[in-house]
Amino acid sequence: MAGWGLLGRLWGRLGAAAPGRPLWAAKRGGPTPGRSPGVTGASAAASLHRDLWSPPSGEACGCPLGQLGFAVRHVNSTTWWHEHLSEENVQFLKKITAEEYKAQTASKLCPLKDEPWPLNEWKPDSIRVGVVAVKLGMMPIWTKSGKKHAVTLLKVQDCHVLRYISKEESGGKTSKLLVGGKNASPFSKSESAMEIFKEAGVPRKQKVTTFNVTDDAIIKPGTPLYAAHFRPGQFVDVTAKTIGKGFQGVMKRWGFKGQPASHGQTKTHRRPGAISTNKAAKVYRGKKMPGKMGNIYRTSFGLKVWRINTKHDIIYVNGSVPGHTNCLVKVKDSKLPTYKDCNKNPPFPTFFADGDEKLPEDLYDEEIFQFTDPSVTYA
Amino acid sequence: FSSSEYRMNSDGQPAKFQPPPKPVIIDKQKQREERRFLSPEFIPPRGRTDPFKFFIERKDMIQRRKVFNIPEFYVGSVLAVTTADPYANEKVNRFVGICVQRGGKGLGATFVLRNVIEDQGVEICYELYNPRIQAIEVLKLEKRLDDNLMYLRDALPEYSTFDMNMKPVSRLDHEEIPVNKLQVRMKPKPWSKRWERPKYNIKGIKFELPEKKMKEAQKWSQPWLEFDMLREYDTSKIEEKIWKEVSEELKK
Repeated sequence: MAGWGLLGRLWGRLGAAAPGRPLWAAKRGGPTPGRSPGVTGASAAASLHRDLWSPPSGEACGCPLGQLGFAVRHVNSTTWWHEHLSEENVQFLKKITAEEYKAQTASKLCPLKDEPWPLNEWKPDSIRVGVVAVKLGMMPIWTKSGKKHAVTLLKVQDCHVLRYISKEESGGKTSKLLVGGKNASPFSKSESAMEIFKEAGVPRKQKVTTFNVTDDAIIKPGTPLYAAHFRPGQFVDVTAKTIGKGFQGVMKRWGFKGQPASHGQTKTHRRPGAISTNKAAKVYRGKKMPGKMGNIYRTSFGLKVWRINTKHDIIYVNGSVPGHTNCLVKVKDSKLPTYKDCNKNPPFPTFFADGDEKLPEDLYDEEIFQFTDPSVTYA
Repeated sequence: FSSSEYRMNSDGQPAKFQPPPKPVIIDKQKQREERRFLSPEFIPPRGRTDPFKFFIERKDMIQRRKVFNIPEFYVGSVLAVTTADPYANEKVNRFVGICVQRGGKGLGATFVLRNVIEDQGVEICYELYNPRIQAIEVLKLEKRLDDNLMYLRDALPEYSTFDMNMKPVSRLDHEEIPVNKLQVRMKPKPWSKRWERPKYNIKGIKFELPEKKMKEAQKWSQPWLEFDMLREYDTSKIEEKIWKEVSEELKK
């Protein structure tokens, strides 16, 4: 593996960084001799040195060459994690990772018995962690007065704290906590990326975010976070990547009015029109123009939490949330000053499932109409 | 004296005694059980949403149905709905009408009731799971030839008038739901939509248009649509599963 680093850097110059043999080489009739991964670093480097000075030919080096003599990376020259593994091995790997995941999650189920870091009391200045959730979809709910509101369902799926970064280490104003979301396959990531998860003893997560947290709210890495971390009646901010719309014109992207459809307009119906004035004699930076729209992080602030389902870990959040269905979102306590009073006395630093509190399956806000009640009347 | 001795076969020989055929017992209860009705808002739409979200929504829908009875009805049945209204004299508002359309899936399912009151056509869209609804009674349970009776807006008003104090029409439990094959007569054109076009696929209108117009309307037909495999959405298995789940929960 050490030789790979050297080989990788040398190969980088030729443009082929594939760890395995490219498929096209197999088509040409068998593996080329000096380029298999089993070759030691020194001899590989030596043979490479020879090759760098030889005239470029398709067969001598392991990567395909284009017309100009430079290496061309083709779709066929990249590999996936089980390309060179037999069927049995693939099944076996999948089975043991599944078992390992189960063992890891089971071992993290009792954070309070596992010597947690000191638990402090909540103060109005403390900022606590947030949670990574999956956006499931939207649903209507009704209040006791009969008004209808739309809510988004956010499911907290396998959320764990991954790492604690102190104030000095991060160089910011507050200490940070890395939190990871949904479980994902460990095979497509490099060893260095998997280090964080191995340290925390937690399966690989699909989304890893940082939360700026005050020092009294730090949590030991490996603790699971649940939906009960939030309570109905409080307000949250939800951040996610918006739906990508691709390259869009100025009317859709910035809401420009465009030009009329008829009355003599020549080839100008959706164009921006004038982009600057005569006096300015330049176009200002940040001028609204066509470009890639969406697929950027945006936050919805001050969303009320109507209901929490502790059994399935679902948060019912008022209104809409950026992102498509089944996307991963970051949920935090609201930073808006109007909701400072509503977010008082939350479970601090987080809700521990194995603690003394036994919560009912569903937690509702006071105003929400629960379906177990009879119909609403105005007497 | 018995006549059996004198009974003859076609051959002329004495016939063997044939016992009478056994009576066929139609088990009414079994028929009632076999007839399953799953309300259309339970069937999840086709899409990339997690089925878990529909499961969570269904739990809420079943919970509401346990407390409040939502009867079985189809497009074309006459319903009476009483809702809680803060601005009415006796805080309740009763409306009778024919169900013209059923839309929406999950908790947001709606149905539109149409009636003509004092020569003014009125359509009200109610949400099935709205807590303000106090009662839904089915006055007449029947189906029509179409799934969507929006063409009643352009039909003669007599087809949409129903008496506000209509008595519920009695029907036996085990009978099949009657299909009313009524062909409705329309007001003169122009209509709100071109109902003669094949995209609406309406069978319940008696078109009194000239042949030429009907032929011209067929120009907009898309005969390839019924063979389009990507548009197929086979809900039979999903319906089975959901029916089992819902009926088990409601029995508890």
